[in-house]
Amino acid sequence: MPEPLDDTDAATRQGPGRVLITVYAIFALAATARSLEQIATKFHVAPLAFLLSAFAGIVYVVATISLIRGWRRVARITITTEAVGVVVIGAASLIFTSAFPKPTVWSGFGYGYAFVPLVLPFVGLWWLHKTEAVPAA
Amino acid sequence: MNGPLPALVTIVSLVLAAWALVQVIRNRPVGRGLLVGVGVLEVALVALLITGIVQMLGSDHDFSRATFVGYLVGAVAIPPVAAAWSMDETDRYGTTVLLVALLVMPVMVLRLQQIWAGPVA
Repeated sequence: MPEPLDDTDAATRQGPGRVLITVYAIFALAATARSLEQIATKFHVAPLAFLLSAFAGIVYVVATISLIRGWRRVARITITTEAVGVVVIGAASLIFTSAFPKPTVWSGFGYGYAFVPLVLPFVGLWWLHKTEAVPAA
Repeated sequence: MNGPLPALVTIVSLVLAAWALVQVIRNRPVGRGLLVGVGVLEVALVALLITGIVQMLGSDHDFSRATFVGYLVGAVAIPPVAAAWSMDETDRYGTTVLLVALLVMPVMVLRLQQIWAGPVA
C-alpha cells in the first residue's frame, strides 16, 4: 500500500476494513445476481420483493465501492440506508407475508443468509466511526 | 451434479479454510503454501465449471440453468479476486479475507446441488 496508515481515505480499506469489504463484496455479488435473475425470469410472481432485492443489491454495491474508495459520506449514507432497510423490510416481511411470496435478502432480517445482513450495517457504521478517529499526521 | 468434483471442492475448501484459520490465529499473512492451495482449489473449480456445463447441456430435466451457470462462474471468480485482495495486508487480516472466501465455497456448492436437483428456485 503506497498510502500512509493515517490517511483517512485509505483507512476504510485497511486491516479489518479489508475483511469487511470482502463480506460486502460477496453480498453485492449475491444480491445483485439474485435480483437480476429474479427480475429477468419471474418478475410477475413477486414484483415488490424483487424490486427490494434489486434495491438491496444496489445498496451493497455502492457500500462496497465507497468503502474501497474511502468515500466516507457516501458510505455512511448507504450503510445507514442498509441498516434501516434490513430492519424495516425484515419486520415488514414477517407482518405482511402476502406481499413477500418470494424472499428478499432482507426478509426475516436476513435469516436466509445466517442473519449476516442484520449485523453487517452496524459493523460497517462502527468501522466508519472507528477509522474516523484516526488522527491525521 | 454427478461425479466427485462437488465433494472435492467442498473438502479442499474446508481444509484450506482450517489452514487459513490457524494462520489468522497466529496473526500470519497469506503465505506461499496457502496460495498454492488456493491455486489447486481454482483448478478444481474450473473443472467443476466445465463438467457442470457439459452435464447441463447433456440433461433435459427442469432446473434454473442461468442461475446454475451463474453460481459456477461466481465460484470460479471468487478465489482469485479474494487472493489478490488479501495480498496488501501484512498481518492476519489478509488471511481473514481468504478465510471468508473459502467458507463461501461449500455454501455455493450446496446451492449448486440444490439448483441442479429441482425446478424450485
